[in-house]
Amino acid sequence: MSRLLLISALRHLHRHPWQSWLSILGIALGVAVIVGVDLANQSARQAFLLSAESLTGKATHQIIGGPAGIPEDLYRELRIEQGLRQAAPIVEGLVKLGAENLQLIGVDPLAEENFRHLSGELAADAARRLFLEPASVLLSSITASRLGVAADDNLTVTIAGREVTLQVVDLLEGDNPAVLEGLLLADISTAQELLDSPGRLDRIDLILQPGQAERLADTLPPGLHLEVPASRTRVMMEMIDAFQINLAAMSLLAMLVGAFLIYNTMTFSVLRRRQLLATLRLLGVTRQALFRLLLLEAALMGLVGAGAGLVLGIFTAQYLVELVTRTINDLYFVLTVKQLIIQPVVLLKGFLVGVGVTLLAALAPAIEAAGTVPVSALRRSQLEQRVHRGLPWVGLLGIAALLLGWLLIAVSGNSLLAGFSGLFLIISGYSLLVPPGVALLSRLSNRTGKRRGLLVRFALRGIGANLSRTGLSIASLSVAVAATLGVSIMISSFRATVADWLAYTLRSDIYVSAVSSRASSSDATLLPETRQRIQALPEVAETSTGRRVTIQSRHGPVDLLVLDFASNTHEGFKFLEPPLADLWAGYQRGELLLTSEPYAYRHGLRTGDPIILDTLEGPLSLTIGGVFYDYGSDQGLIGLPASAYTRYWGDAAFATVGVILQPGVEPAAATSAIRQALEGFDQDLRIRSNREIRDYSIGIFDRTFAITQVLRLLAVGVAFIGVLSALMALQLERTREQAVLRATGFTPGQLSRLTLLQTSLMGLYAGLFSLPLGWLMSEVLIEVINRRAFGWSITTQLPVNAVFEALLLAVVAALLAGLYPAWRMSRVSPALALREE
Amino acid sequence: MPRFAWFIVLILLLSGCGNPAPETEQFQVAEALGGASDAGFARATNPREFLFPQDHGPHPEFRNEWWYLTGNLHAEDGRDFAYQATLFRIALQPEPIDSPSAWRSNQIWMGHAALSDLQAGKHTAFERFARQGAGLAGAESLPLRVWLEDWQLQQAGGTGVWKLQIPTEEFDLRLELKPASPIILQGDNGLSQKSRTPGNASYYYSIPRLTANGALSYRGETLRVNGQSWLDREWSTSALGPDQQGWDWFSLQLNDGRNLMFYQLRRKDGSVDPLSAGSLSDERGLRQHLRPEMIRLTPLKYWVSGNRRYPIEWRLELEGEPHPWRVSTRLADQEMRLSVTYWEGAVEVRQESSGDLLGKGYLEMTGYD
Repeated sequence: MSRLLLISALRHLHRHPWQSWLSILGIALGVAVIVGVDLANQSARQAFLLSAESLTGKATHQIIGGPAGIPEDLYRELRIEQGLRQAAPIVEGLVKLGAENLQLIGVDPLAEENFRHLSGELAADAARRLFLEPASVLLSSITASRLGVAADDNLTVTIAGREVTLQVVDLLEGDNPAVLEGLLLADISTAQELLDSPGRLDRIDLILQPGQAERLADTLPPGLHLEVPASRTRVMMEMIDAFQINLAAMSLLAMLVGAFLIYNTMTFSVLRRRQLLATLRLLGVTRQALFRLLLLEAALMGLVGAGAGLVLGIFTAQYLVELVTRTINDLYFVLTVKQLIIQPVVLLKGFLVGVGVTLLAALAPAIEAAGTVPVSALRRSQLEQRVHRGLPWVGLLGIAALLLGWLLIAVSGNSLLAGFSGLFLIISGYSLLVPPGVALLSRLSNRTGKRRGLLVRFALRGIGANLSRTGLSIASLSVAVAATLGVSIMISSFRATVADWLAYTLRSDIYVSAVSSRASSSDATLLPETRQRIQALPEVAETSTGRRVTIQSRHGPVDLLVLDFASNTHEGFKFLEPPLADLWAGYQRGELLLTSEPYAYRHGLRTGDPIILDTLEGPLSLTIGGVFYDYGSDQGLIGLPASAYTRYWGDAAFATVGVILQPGVEPAAATSAIRQALEGFDQDLRIRSNREIRDYSIGIFDRTFAITQVLRLLAVGVAFIGVLSALMALQLERTREQAVLRATGFTPGQLSRLTLLQTSLMGLYAGLFSLPLGWLMSEVLIEVINRRAFGWSITTQLPVNAVFEALLLAVVAALLAGLYPAWRMSRVSPALALREE
Repeated sequence: MPRFAWFIVLILLLSGCGNPAPETEQFQVAEALGGASDAGFARATNPREFLFPQDHGPHPEFRNEWWYLTGNLHAEDGRDFAYQATLFRIALQPEPIDSPSAWRSNQIWMGHAALSDLQAGKHTAFERFARQGAGLAGAESLPLRVWLEDWQLQQAGGTGVWKLQIPTEEFDLRLELKPASPIILQGDNGLSQKSRTPGNASYYYSIPRLTANGALSYRGETLRVNGQSWLDREWSTSALGPDQQGWDWFSLQLNDGRNLMFYQLRRKDGSVDPLSAGSLSDERGLRQHLRPEMIRLTPLKYWVSGNRRYPIEWRLELEGEPHPWRVSTRLADQEMRLSVTYWEGAVEVRQESSGDLLGKGYLEMTGYD
C-alpha cells in the first residue's frame, strides 16, 4: 500500500479524534468485559482445582460418608484388619472469621506422608503443639498475611455459632501457598473437638491398587461410598459450570454491543470519506488498495482498543473475581480465591476476539468503500436510494436470522451453548429489522408530522432521508438498550418468583434451627427434646421439623429434604404438573417421594418415574409423586417424610423446627419464650422469624445477581459510548448540510435545537425498538437459558420501571450525544463549514 | 542399650509431616528439643523393684519406652533369615489429655521392622507411625499387648509365651517366642546409667534367649521357621550426653548357652565412654556384669553407605576368654534407611584362630555419620 494512502487514512483518524477514540474505548470496554469475566471465571476454577488437588493429594479413592459421616472405627478396621495402610482420615468443617469462611481440615499427620505435603517445614515444636494443644491450628501463610496474623497469634473465630479462640502455632507454606488460601489445618483430634464431632470422620482418603477398589466398594457398610476424587471434583465443577457459562455469555453480550459500535464507527468513517475515497479512485487507487486501507485502519483501532481492553480487563477481573467467589460460596461450596490467576491464554483470546470482531465489523464498510464508483460516490442521494432499495432484503435477512435462532433453540434440547447461539441469532436478526422499521416509522411520522412545525418536520424527515446512517445508529442503540432491558426483566422476574415461592413455602411463623459448621450443611442437628419443649409452649399452635441431608442415588449425590409436616405444610408445595392422585397418603407411607423441578429437569424425570436411593438397607426404589417448584437448590432436592427417612437411614435427627403460633401471638414475644424454653440445652441455635428468613434469602439472591448487574452496567456503558459516537458522527457528518441551512437563514439556536431534537427522536425510536427485543431476550433468558442452566421455571413479570428506564436510557444517551454537535453547529461559520471537505 | 535418643528424632520427624529434612538438621534440632521437654516425666534415678509380668507392659510416666526383638531364623527349606521388630512408645508430654476425641493423645508410636534374607543377600526394612488412640496403637499389660496397627506383640495369658506378628508389604512374620533363659536385669539391678547426669539412665531388662517358632511369608511362599530371639525392654526419660556420638551394640547368643550383651558408647573424640557396659548370662541367669575394660573391640572391616562408614567386622576380646572372637556378617548392607538411618543386622561369632562357629547374634551401630 502506498505511503501516501496510509498517511491519508491516519490523517483522517487524526482529524476526527472523537470518533476514533470513542471506537477504541468501545472496543476496549468490550474486550475488558470479556477478559475480566474470563479471568475471574478461570481464576475461580483454577483455585478450586488446585486446592482440590492439593487437598486430595495422591489419593486414588475416597470413602465419602452419608449424613452421619463415617464412623472412625471403619478407619481402624480398614487400616488394621483389612491392611489398607495407604489410608488417611479427614475431618472437615467451616469456620467463620467475620464474614469470611475458612475451611478447617483435620488430618492425622502420621498418616499423611503418602498423601499430601501441605505443611512444608514447620517450627520445631509446631507439630508437638498440634498434637497436644487444643484449638491449635496451622493457617495458610497467604491468608495469614492478608489477615495480619503471625505465627503464635490468637485467632478468634466462630464455629457453629460458638466463639472459639484458635492458636496459630505456625503458618502453612506448602509448595504453592496460593492453593492453601483460606485453609486452617489441624490435628484430627483438634478438628473433632472444634467441630464437636467425636467419633466421626468426613472422608477417608485411600491409595488403592487395581482390584482393591471393587472389593472395598462391595464390603463398605451401607450409606458409605467409594469415589474417585476426580469424579467428585468433576461433580463440583459441573455445579458451577452453568453459572460460569452464564457469566461468559453476559460478557459476550457486551462484546456484541461493542461489535455494533465498531461496525457503526467504521461505516461512518467510510461514509464521511466517500468524497475522498471517490477522489482517490479517480486518481487511480485500486479497489483492493482501498479495501486494504480500511481494514488496516480497523486493525489499527482494534489493536489499540484490544490492548487497552486487556489492561482494563485485568482491573475489572480483580473486582469480578470477588463477586464470582462470593456467589460460588453462597450457592455452591466454600471457595477462597483471593489471587487472580492471569492466564496468557485468556488474554490472547480476549485480544483476538477484540481485533477479530473489529475486522469483521469493518468488513462490510470496507467492501462498501472498495465498491465506490468514482462518480456516483460523490452523490449522496444515490447512496440513500440504494439503501432504501436494499431495505426489504435486509428485512428478509433479519427475519431469516430470527427464524433460524428460534429453530436452533427449539431443536437443541438442553444445550446451553445452543441456547446462547440462538439468542445471539435472534438479536442479530432483530437488529437487521431495525433499519426497515425506521424507514416505516419515518414514513408514518412524515404523515403525522405535516401538522407540526418546520423544525419537527425537518428532524423527522432527516431521519428517514439519512437512513444509511440513522438506521444503523438506531439499531445499535436498540440492541444495547434491549440487552439491558432483557437482563433486567429476567432478574426482576426471577426475584419476584423467588419471593413468591418463599412466601408460600415458608409456612411457619418462626424457625428454630441448629447452627452448622459443616461444608455439607447436613449435620448440625437439634436435640430431640427441642421440639417437645417448643410444642409445650402456650404460644405455639403446631410444630414441624425439617432437615436437609446429602445422600447417594443412582444419579450421584442428592440433597434430601426431610420434613415432618405440620397440618398446613402441604400447602407449602406447588406442583409443576398435577401430582399423583394419592400423593400425600403415599408420601406419608414412604412409598412416594417428591422431587424439585431442577432435579427432575436435570435427570429427565417426571411424575410417576422411579428413583433409586441408596439406603442403609441397600438400594430403594421410590416413585415420584409430584414435582414441586423450588428455587433453593439448582442441583435439585428430593422430598421425603421424616418417618421414611428414619426408617431407611436410621437417623431421626432434625435440624429445624418450624413453629406455627397461636392466632394473635407476636413473633417477637414467641421468640423470647422459645429461647427461654430451650435455655440450658447445650446446643447452638438460630431462631428466625419467617420475615427474617425471607429477607435473608432475598439478600442472597441479590448478592448472587450483583455480578449480573455489574455486567449489565458494563454493557450499558459500551452501548452508551456506541450511541454517543454513532450519533455524534452522524451529526458531524452533516456539517455541510447544516451549513446550507445556516446559509439559508436558520439561526444557530434553531440549528442546535434541530440537532438535539433529531438525536432525541432517534433515541426515542431506538428505545421503542428495544422494547420488543428486550422482552424477547428476557423470554429466551428465562425460558431457555435459565432453564437449561439451572432447571427452574420463572414467571415472567414485566417491570414497568424497567421499560421506562430503557426508554430513558435511549433518549438521554441520544440527547447527550447530540450536545456536542449542537454546540459545534451553532459556532461554525457557514462559509467555513461549506468549504469543509 | 542406648536406643533412647531416637525419640527426639521422631518428634522432629513429625514436624516434617512426612517431609523429612536432611538428617543432620534433624539431629541439631533434636538436641535443642531433647533437653527442653523432659520436665514432668518420671526419671530413672534409683534401682527399682521389677514386677513381672506387669513390667512387660507400658510405663507411660516415662518419656520413651521400647519392646525390641531381634533374632536369627532357620527356614524349613534350609535358608537363613534374620529379623528385627521394634515398637517404640514416645510420650510428647507426661500428662494424658482429656478429650472427647479418641484421637487426642500424648503418646506416639513408632515401629521398625526388617528382614534379612541371608542367602539372597537382601535386606528390607519398614517403618510405621501412629498415635496411641482411636485403636491405632497402644500397650496394655495383663495380659500384655503392644501394637502399632497390625504389628503386634502379645503374651498369651499366663503361659509366658510371646507372640509376634509383623505383616509388611514384603513379608509377613508370625512367631511364637518361648523364653529359654530367665529375665536379666541389666546395669545396676535394671538401672542402666547412660551418661553422668543423674537420671540420664534407663530401666533395662532383657530376655536374652527365646526359642522362636513360626511362619514367614515371603515372596509368595510361606515357610516354617525356627531359631532364637532376643528381647530387650527399656524405658527412660534420658538422652545422649553432649559428648556422646553413637554406639555399637552387640547381642550374641553362643552355642555353649552363654549370652553376651555389650554396648560400647563412643564419644565425639573417638574414645570409648567409660559408661559402656554389658552382661554375660546363661540359662540360669546373670553370670557377670561387663565393664568396658573387660572387653576390647577392634574394627576389622568397613562397609560404606554414602557418608557413613560402618565397621561390619570386629575382633572381640573378652576378659577370661582364651581366644579372641571374630564378629562378622554374611550381609554387609543391613542398613536401616528409615526416618533415622542406622545399621542393624544379623552377625555370626567365630573363633578367630580356628574359624569355628561359636554362635549368632545381632549388631546395631549408630552415629556413623
